[in-house]
Order: sequence, then C-alpha cells, then structure tokens
Amino acid sequence: MHRWKRTLALPVTMVAIALGFLIALQAQTQKNVSAAEQISAQRMSQMKAVLTNSQEQNAQLQERHKELSERLDLARKQVGTDPQLLVHLKQLKMLDGTQEVEGPGILISIDDRNKKVTFPLYTDEILRMINTLKLAGAEAISINGQRIVGSTAIVLSGSSTILVNQVPINRTEGSPYELSAIGDQDTLLDYVSQLDGKTLKDRGMTVSIARKTLRIPSYKGSYTFKEAKTLPAQGA
Amino acid sequence: MHLDKKERSLLGFSAILLGFLFVLLIKAQGAAGSQMTVQETAIPSLIKTEQENQQLSIENSKIEQELVKYHQGQSASVLLNQQVKEAMMNAGLIEVTGPGVQITLDDSTRVATGEEDPNNYFIHEEYIREILNALWNGGAEAIAVNGQRVTTLTEVFCGGSFIQINGTRQMPPYVIGAIGDSHNLSAALKFYGYSWDRLGEFQEQYGITRKLEVLEDIKTPAGKLRNYHYAEPVKEGT
Repeated sequence: MHRWKRTLALPVTMVAIALGFLIALQAQTQKNVSAAEQISAQRMSQMKAVLTNSQEQNAQLQERHKELSERLDLARKQVGTDPQLLVHLKQLKMLDGTQEVEGPGILISIDDRNKKVTFPLYTDEILRMINTLKLAGAEAISINGQRIVGSTAIVLSGSSTILVNQVPINRTEGSPYELSAIGDQDTLLDYVSQLDGKTLKDRGMTVSIARKTLRIPSYKGSYTFKEAKTLPAQGA
Repeated sequence: MHLDKKERSLLGFSAILLGFLFVLLIKAQGAAGSQMTVQETAIPSLIKTEQENQQLSIENSKIEQELVKYHQGQSASVLLNQQVKEAMMNAGLIEVTGPGVQITLDDSTRVATGEEDPNNYFIHEEYIREILNALWNGGAEAIAVNGQRVTTLTEVFCGGSFIQINGTRQMPPYVIGAIGDSHNLSAALKFYGYSWDRLGEFQEQYGITRKLEVLEDIKTPAGKLRNYHYAEPVKEGT
C-alpha cells in the first residue's frame, strides 16, 4: 500500500465512513419501509373489502329500486292515477332534488393543483360560482356528483376536505372539481366565463367550460322537519 | 490529480454503490408516500356509497309501503296527494313556522369619511350567502331572507345598491329568519360564518347592525315552483 498518497488518505477515510453510515441507514429504512408497507397493504385490503361490500350492496339496492319503481308505475296505471298530478309531483321532486334529471347544460372543470396557485379553491368560491349558476337560470346543479339543493351547505372539514351535503367531494383522478349545470347553455356559459371563470383564471387555476348534455344525480340526503310546522290553514 | 488504475477503479466502484443506494432510498420514500393517497381516496367513495345505500333503502321501503297500500285498495289520489304534499314541504313551497333564530343586518347610519373604505359601511351579498351556508350546516329546516324563502334555486346576487333574491330587489335591513334548533344554529353561525366575526368588528368600528335573536315563532313564507325548460326527469330503469 506504499503507493497510496498521503494526501489521499484523509478523503478516502471520510468517504468510507460516510458510505458505511449510509449503508447502515439504508438497511434501517428498508426494514421500516417493508414493515410499513405490510401494515398499509393490510389496511388497504380491509378497506377494499369494506368498499366492495358496500358497492355490492349498492348494486343490489339499485336493482331492487328499479324493480320496485316499475311495479309502482304499473300499480299507478292500474288504479288510474291522475297523470297531471304525477307530472306535478315529478316537477316538485326536481325542485327538492330527489329526482335525477338530464338535459343540456355546461360542465365546468376547475383544477387548482398548479404551481401558480397560492391558495386552493375556497368553499366561498364554490358558493359564489353556484350562486352565479342560479342567477344564470340553472335548473339543476351538482358538484362532483353531489346535487345542490336548498339546504346544501359547503364547508371545510379539517384543512383541505370540502364537504358538500356532509359528503367529502375530493377526488384524485381528472380535475379536482367538476360542476354540472342544466339550463340555457349560452346564458350559463356567458355568466360563468365572465364572472367566476375569469376570477379563478386570474388566480392561476385551469378552468374549462364545455357545452354538454348532462345527467345530474339526485340528492341523496334526507329532509327532516322537527321544529318547522305547517300553518293549520294550509295543512288541509 | 494523478490517479493510478487501482485508485480509479476504487473510486468508480464507490460512486456506483452510492448511486445505487440513493435510488433505493428514493424508491423507499416514494412507496411510503403513494400508499397514503390511495387510502385517502378510498374513504370519500366509501362514505358516498354508504350514504347512497342508506338513501336507497329508505326509498325502497317507501315504495314498498306505497305498493302495499295500493294492494290494500287505498285510493290512489289520496296517496299521490300525500306525496305531493311531502315533496312541496321538502322543496319549500309550504309556509312553515317554528322556533329558530332571526338575524338582522343593516348598513351603517354613518358615512365613510376621508380615506376610509366605504365598503365597510355596507352589508354585502356575500355576508348573507355565508350566513345562509352556515345556517344550513347548523341544520336549519327553512330559511327566508326579507320574506323570500330560500329554495334550491334561490340566488343571492349583488345588484348594486340592492341585493337580488329570488329575482326580487331587496334593500337593507336584511332580516334572515331560520327555523331549527336555535342552539345549533347559533353555534354553526359562530363556527362557519367567517363574516359573522368580521361583521361584529364592523359593528363596533363602522356602526353597521348585526343582531342575533332567538325567537319562538319564526315564519318562513312559501317559495315558488318554477317552470323547467331544459331539465327532464330521468326515466326510471334507464
């Protein structure tokens, strides 16, 4: 080893020490990671099992719902229900949101996962946009599959989870936010692009608005009236 | 710096080892990070499906009950009328009364002087919107602003000196009546109404009015049904 230069001895020693340290650290991390992976995989499989379970249940319930609805329609026809009253009922159900609807409208996609965006989309901004859509005459509105009804509250839970109708609406695939609105396409497009679309674009978000024929799901929550009473005159 | 063959190979070997280690480290880090996001997305969809299931089973049992009634030979029109009434109640087309809270907001009687921002002296539509949102979150059953029932399609839009609600011009003072558990309603207002606190400060500084009253008897008038031109109900079973 006489050929080793004196000046090289110190750096080589240092590198060797650092290397040894790194290897030890790596071994440790690898152990931790594999343990964490195992726990995580376990949790995931449990979660998936629960999710599949409830999705299966969902499919069953939907099947049953379809069957029952058909029978109901048949029964109504047999006893000769007033068709006009049925139409009226459908209209009321469109207003309270319990009826799934379809029609022409616009689809607004907002992406706030962008380096130019300092603050993500606020709940207030969603509220304002929905308000604009209502002003533009939207007949039915939904955000990420949640139907907007009168009693819809849009609030923040924790630091980043947005709740609409008490359901978290965060999504990872595609745009984080998708608003659907049925109504006059020109008016809706005009209002949204002039008012909110512009503000959000100025904040650096990607906003795209497209004309589409949409289907808007029904409101899945429930209405409860514990305190509110109808006036006797109107009860009859 | 002159390195002989042995030294060069040693250096090369350690460099390769180092690079290899780094790659391993980054991979390990990535694996730990990505697992979390998958789990996080599963939870919202689980909640959504569960809620849908609950709603569907409620709806199914309702239809079942109705079918039983049909089989028992009950009058169809009575049944349908019941449903219509229920839907009208949900949609806010029936006048209701009950205990709850009443909020009064009014512009300041003073006028902005000098450099002051005149906006702080007025009630803006976004305050009302935020307050409504907070009240619904607090479990309000029916809300009206200046006698205009807030329904699914109610807008609260700034039209300059007035605020447009249900297509009508509303001027201050704005009186918001909400029926529900008054304790819950006030709590939600204080928690979620960011403007609520701000309005309190404006009251002290600029003299606007912000008043919260708990009342035993609040009336919210009936809303109006609108005509649908674009939206069509989706046929069952499609």
